Amino acid sequence: MTMAGRRIAVAAGIVLLLAGGVAGVWLYRTLGHGGPLKTVYAAFDKQDDWKEYGGTWQYVDGVMRNISDERGAKLMSGSVGWTNYSVEADVLLLGQYGDAGLILRASDEEQGVDAYHGYMAGLRDLDNALLLGRADYGWKEYVAKTIAPRVYAQQWYHLKFLAYGCDFAVATTTPSGETISAAVEDPGCLPAGRFGLKSYNTGAEWKNVVVRPATAQDLASMTGGVTPPRAEPNAYPLGSIPAPYDRYFEPLQRDLEAHHSDINARTIDSLRLLPPDVSTQVTLHGVVTLTSPVLYVQDSTGGLAIPAAHIQAPVEIGDEIEAHGDAVPRDFSSVLEHADVRPLWSHTPVLPVAVTAYQASTGAFDAEYIEIEGVLQGKQDEEGNRHVLVLDDGSQSFRAIAVGEGPTAHFGNLKLRSRIRLRGICVVDPAYTKDQTSFAVLLPSLRDVEVLAGPPWWTTGHVLALIIGTLLLILSGFACYIQIERWRMRAVLKERERLAHDMHDTLAQSFAGLGFQLEAMQQELHEGGEVASQLKLARAMVRDSHEEARRSIAALRPDPLESAELLPALKSCAARMINSNTAIQIETVCEGSERSIPLRTADALLHIGQEAITNAVRHAHPSHVRIMLMYAKNSVELVVADDGCGFHLSSGSAGFGTRGMQRRAAAIGAKLKLSSVAGRGTTVRVSASLPLSFPKALWRTVRMVQPWKRDRNEHDMQ
Amino acid sequence: MEIYWNAPMRDDDMPSQIALVERSVARGYGGIVVAPIETLPMRTPIRRLMARGVPVVVVGTDLGIPAGPGLSYVMSDEQLAGQMAGRRIGTILHGQGNVAIVGIRPQLTSLVERERSLEATLVREFPGIRVVVRRFGLAGAPQEQLSANEILSGGERIDAIAALTLGSTRGAYYALVATGKEKTVKLVGFDQDLIPPLRTGGIDAVVAQNTYAMGRIAIEKLDQERHGIATPGVTRVPPVLMTQENIDSAEIHAILDLSWWKGQ
Repeated sequence: MTMAGRRIAVAAGIVLLLAGGVAGVWLYRTLGHGGPLKTVYAAFDKQDDWKEYGGTWQYVDGVMRNISDERGAKLMSGSVGWTNYSVEADVLLLGQYGDAGLILRASDEEQGVDAYHGYMAGLRDLDNALLLGRADYGWKEYVAKTIAPRVYAQQWYHLKFLAYGCDFAVATTTPSGETISAAVEDPGCLPAGRFGLKSYNTGAEWKNVVVRPATAQDLASMTGGVTPPRAEPNAYPLGSIPAPYDRYFEPLQRDLEAHHSDINARTIDSLRLLPPDVSTQVTLHGVVTLTSPVLYVQDSTGGLAIPAAHIQAPVEIGDEIEAHGDAVPRDFSSVLEHADVRPLWSHTPVLPVAVTAYQASTGAFDAEYIEIEGVLQGKQDEEGNRHVLVLDDGSQSFRAIAVGEGPTAHFGNLKLRSRIRLRGICVVDPAYTKDQTSFAVLLPSLRDVEVLAGPPWWTTGHVLALIIGTLLLILSGFACYIQIERWRMRAVLKERERLAHDMHDTLAQSFAGLGFQLEAMQQELHEGGEVASQLKLARAMVRDSHEEARRSIAALRPDPLESAELLPALKSCAARMINSNTAIQIETVCEGSERSIPLRTADALLHIGQEAITNAVRHAHPSHVRIMLMYAKNSVELVVADDGCGFHLSSGSAGFGTRGMQRRAAAIGAKLKLSSVAGRGTTVRVSASLPLSFPKALWRTVRMVQPWKRDRNEHDMQ
Repeated sequence: MEIYWNAPMRDDDMPSQIALVERSVARGYGGIVVAPIETLPMRTPIRRLMARGVPVVVVGTDLGIPAGPGLSYVMSDEQLAGQMAGRRIGTILHGQGNVAIVGIRPQLTSLVERERSLEATLVREFPGIRVVVRRFGLAGAPQEQLSANEILSGGERIDAIAALTLGSTRGAYYALVATGKEKTVKLVGFDQDLIPPLRTGGIDAVVAQNTYAMGRIAIEKLDQERHGIATPGVTRVPPVLMTQENIDSAEIHAILDLSWWKGQ
């Protein structure tokens, strides 16, 4: 395989791995509880296993309840890969005009009326029927089998719904023990999907939910071995009023007879003006806005609490009720004590009034259903299963309280400093405010908490992290710059070394060869001749040139330096320049604690030192050359001193070598000092700064920019 | 044509209806048929749909946006509906009596048109009939019942109630039964919900929208829009007056019959 082919293969492999990973995550998220189905006893307390589509779901004492009468609230679980299985549960309808039951083989669920693909079986009290049908974003009802005498609200029915192949069977056991069943075959059926709970137009309760794998024997046991009839949507014969319309009349009349209401009921706000010390028996009508921890109702004039109410039948949020009891006016709202409560109608939700925290704090909305926003400042659990949120809005703080074992994952996911919107009952009762805030909000459930915006990004921690990150970025950039400079210097040194090698191999060797030739010619000639003297001069010139070339090569050939090698390198350089028969003593001294010297500085010091040594050896005729390297706190100083003939600095004798030293010193920001006295030697002194350690550099920066000091200085100057 | 159907889970859940409309567009559907719960909040979402080139057919109410390319209306003829109800009341009261109108809802322009047509018919054709009580529509049938209870037990004599909505019709009927006045006070309602009391006489008449025809026309219009065929900007479908006398007629059955629904 070619290189290009291998690259393509590797790239394709990576893409496949990534695609596999993404597909795996998608499948995991889509399938939910993937894998083969085993018998599952649905655990409602594991909130993550369930997904709500509408409704107001509460889990209390092993019972899952939807207290909303929305059309088509669903609570789904399981896997879209589940095929043949049954779901069974005990089901109770809370209201008079709807249905409730079980879903299986569902997928593509959404919030909305019949917004899913799947099958549903259940009980409907509107026309007293056992239902079975299919939803495909629209409802096809296959079975509506009458249950005699009727389907009672507030009573438990055991319901079993099974799917095997394209056969579907449903059976219910009434409170009297009678079993009613129905089955259909749905050619082109949905082959697999999740299970769930569903209610339509009424609240409902479910308990003992069990999901089991289903076999042909299980189906046969429900159908009695009879092949189910082919499913057809219910059709109503032309020429007659459709059956559902007439079926509505019976529950309509039933409810009318059962719920004659008192037409002389008082409005809720009028109760506040009753005498405070006299118990007044009143009847009122209102819509339930909260059922727990206390029953709250509201009419168009206001809200009111009914503690310890005697409720004739369970009520849910949105129910219209009639209450008869003793009205007790309180500061901001009234309380109805010793009250008998009976539901009149359902389906009458109260819309919340949007208020600010300040408006709520005045008490004007006590006992009313409100919508309010605030910034979450804290959350805690209190006794009695109370989940408490503490919020701020402008000048006011308030508490929001949800009571019960409902979904707590949502509570845990709320992040402090988020802006949230709540819907609940505004109360000023100290039992809830604990006299810490002016009011509290009682939430029907934690689902009534909506996060509008997450916490702001500019927290102290984030700002600190940003500063640290920026500093790290700057340091990284600086480190990169240093490294690049080092690479550049190494490249320069390498080039010089290459040049030195070239000069040694060509120029120096040529000079050596030329010298040998001239020497040979001189030996052939007699002494004293003019030619001989010219040859002697030529040999001297060649020797000088050779010597010059050697020095140049030595200068161009600095082996990579470490700071510890600087002094030995200079000593070696000096040693190379001194003839064996010349008596010059070389002394090297190192003072201070030896430290690392940047490569660029070390290189400049080496060349300055070489030049100074060269000048001393060639021109000053010294007997002693002293080379010193002195480390100070933040600098290093190189001194080359000789005891030679010296010179007058004012004589303009600073030649090309001196200017070179000054140029090199300037390039690294070093100071070069040249001192010489005729007859008393010459001293070259070059002092270069050393980089500070990071903490010292940071401290120096801080000191340079410290504003208080600058301000103080400015103040002093004034 | 693939049809995605969905609806808010409550009759008054306008935010959910707007969200459904926006979600449908995000999914790339080629057109939308919508029956707004309220008029004004739906204006901006519909304008946005039009700006994106999505054909829209609005059913049941006039949003105030002129019909044109990309937007058309299918409405029940509310002028005619108001006239039908007014003439029925005038006839059964023999041109004399007091009337209460309940279920007035400014939130839906079609209902405003319905109410004004009704009152104009009474004034024009039955000067002996007075409208003595007018009440706004409330959230649901129970509130409407309480409202009707107050009217029936108030000092003013009421000979007939005109209930402009489904909820107010139901509430007024419940109130008549609860107060025992279903035989003495005539009820003329709107929108087909309570059919059985028509048979018993508890409700005198209901002005029914021909919802089947409206739905069919809406889908046909959308299909034509998508194929670049010009359609009438506004199509008004005549309503039908249902009474005890004609409830078993073929015309009424054609509206109420559900046998057209065979599923998908």
